[in-house]
Amino acid sequence: MNFNDIVPYLDPADKEESLKEFFGREDIKSFLSEKWKEYTDTEVTLPKDTDEQPLSVQPEEIQTVTNPETPVDMPFIPSIPDDEETRARYQSLFSETRHEMFSRKLKGTHIQFQNGKVNQPYQMLLDVMDLGMPEVGRLEFIGLNEIGLNFNPETCLVEGIPTTSGDFKIKLQCYLQDWKEGDPVFEKPVTLIINPDPRALWNSIPTPEDIPYYKPDSDCKYVKIGRTKGFLGMGAENRKDMVAASQRGRSHAHEGKPRDDDFSIIHNDNTEWYTAIVADGAGSAEYSRKGSEIACRTVSEVCDTHLTKYSKEIDELIKDFDRDNSDSKRKKLGDALYNILGSAVFKAYKNIEQEAVGNDAQLKDYSTTLLVALSKKYKFGWFVATFWVGDGGIGIYNKETGYLKIMGEPDGGDFAGQTRFLTMGEVMQPTEIYKRLRFEIVEDFTALVLMTDGVTDPKFETDSNLQKPEKWDALWKDITSKVELTDDNEASAQQLLKWLDFWSPGNHDDRTIAIIY
Amino acid sequence: MRKLPVYLVLDTSGSMHGEPIEAVKNGVQVLVSTLRQDPYALETAHLSIITFDERAKQVSPLTELSMFQLPSLTANGTTCLGAALSLLAERIEAEVHKSTAEKKGDWRPLVFIMTDGAPTDNWERGLEDFRKTKCAMVVACAAGQSAQTKVLKKITDTVVSLDTADSMTIKAFFKWVSASVSFGSQKVESTHQEIAGMSELPPPPPEVNIVL
Repeated sequence: MNFNDIVPYLDPADKEESLKEFFGREDIKSFLSEKWKEYTDTEVTLPKDTDEQPLSVQPEEIQTVTNPETPVDMPFIPSIPDDEETRARYQSLFSETRHEMFSRKLKGTHIQFQNGKVNQPYQMLLDVMDLGMPEVGRLEFIGLNEIGLNFNPETCLVEGIPTTSGDFKIKLQCYLQDWKEGDPVFEKPVTLIINPDPRALWNSIPTPEDIPYYKPDSDCKYVKIGRTKGFLGMGAENRKDMVAASQRGRSHAHEGKPRDDDFSIIHNDNTEWYTAIVADGAGSAEYSRKGSEIACRTVSEVCDTHLTKYSKEIDELIKDFDRDNSDSKRKKLGDALYNILGSAVFKAYKNIEQEAVGNDAQLKDYSTTLLVALSKKYKFGWFVATFWVGDGGIGIYNKETGYLKIMGEPDGGDFAGQTRFLTMGEVMQPTEIYKRLRFEIVEDFTALVLMTDGVTDPKFETDSNLQKPEKWDALWKDITSKVELTDDNEASAQQLLKWLDFWSPGNHDDRTIAIIY
Repeated sequence: MRKLPVYLVLDTSGSMHGEPIEAVKNGVQVLVSTLRQDPYALETAHLSIITFDERAKQVSPLTELSMFQLPSLTANGTTCLGAALSLLAERIEAEVHKSTAEKKGDWRPLVFIMTDGAPTDNWERGLEDFRKTKCAMVVACAAGQSAQTKVLKKITDTVVSLDTADSMTIKAFFKWVSASVSFGSQKVESTHQEIAGMSELPPPPPEVNIVL
């Protein structure tokens, strides 16, 4: 067969049908396979620039080249022409695989932002080398600016101060080395979590004023005790003042629930007795806010009445005890205090019981702790008597001498299991009341402090820490840095109330503190 | 700060493959982002995830909620519940602090176990280890019909079941877990008391049945 036989089928074009028919012919098939065999068996020839060759050329016109390095019985692999067009074509093929490879790699690379917090500086290193992607020339992030962050390509740092909280989808864009217009940009969504400021999550809902036993969400008081008169202006001296504040806890404010704590501070100008009381109504008891209020008011009133009535007798017993520290003198003074403070406490218990009966409620619905301190200055020093039931703390603290006396034991602490309340019958047994009475004569003190557990929990954490002078030093430093506890400074009541708002994660109970200083 | 540890012990065996494991992943994500909005939980709750298939693995150590990052979860293999219980006991021992004189310890952990099949290992031995730890509350969830509530009842009194392990049901379960953690965090912060029983948890949604 002659090649010329084929030519009419090919030229002119537009003969698709007949072409198919032609190549389907048995003789053509066998001819072609014969020719192919011939071709592969003889010296390898390569048509040059086939694209440009007219198909009508004669076989003898085709120039042949010999590839000396290729053995004749091996299939021939044509070498890639080294012209610009071919190079360009192969280059694009090559970069396509490079792109595919990178795309796969990016998909498989775990990229995670560390979590941030609103209003707190954020910084995270995002280095392509660390990520194992050295082929990346440039990184960009879409969505960072909106939340107050940006990426610094020089330092590879994502930094800034996040302005909003939430789970954000940030789009990471990778530009490969030698990137030019038209090249693909590789993207990967990465989640960035910005936590809200915990402080912003706490609502402050005012307590509805129409609830039974409503009481204001905060309270504070200052009792100013002027200078002693002295003799013709001589020898006049400053006297200690009293300040107290009570603040509803965040956990109550969050739900519009009332403050359960209460306090009472009074100074009797005639007897010169100081009385300071704090009480913490149990969170689980429905009317505990009333229980703490009744306790504070009753004890304060009853003590004042008794101390006025028996002022001289008590003075004598205390002076006696100062002179003679014997057990018998101690017992005498203790008995007298039991009759004053103990009976005041018992009266508080009875008053709460009466309130509960009147309100058709149970005594335990009014559960409250109670911490009382009575104090008076004598020539030989300060006399302090206390009664303490429940958690919280009473301490006599002297910054100068490092003296610290904790006036009892917090029951319901770490190991006792259950908190004791004034409203428990077993606490009102005479021996139990007696056990909870303490008294002491000290030369002087920087402060006599009474606190509910809303203050002791964050500031001391454990019962054991409550006994540590360094913890008290820290507390005192903290208070006096915010509250000007100078003589007769009535503004300190508001300052103390403001101080009570200190932030301590996980501690959002009502807080009450009373200080004689 | 006294943290409230929360352990999620999740079955990632082969039978969880597909819809169930995707629903679990989604459930955990929703749980974390919900709790981050709760001031009580954000401050006190710490979360850990232990998965079990051919072996048990703590894929997320006990981490405060604000720093928690979702682990990748894949489902294949058998159901080594026993190994998971042993690991859980070991991690609680290591990660939950006990009270000392100077520092109050953490709250006792809340544990949520979820499985969709019968254990394939010696679960009694794991249970023996686990019994030595003190948890405030252990909830076991039998997801779907193949889960064995009888085995779970041996681990804890509080067993719930899901009729099917589809995405809606699993989602409902995690929502309830999230609400329970909220309750628990609020309780320890407000009253200094731990959750002591099912009755103190929020009522479960209709998809979550209490197994008596």
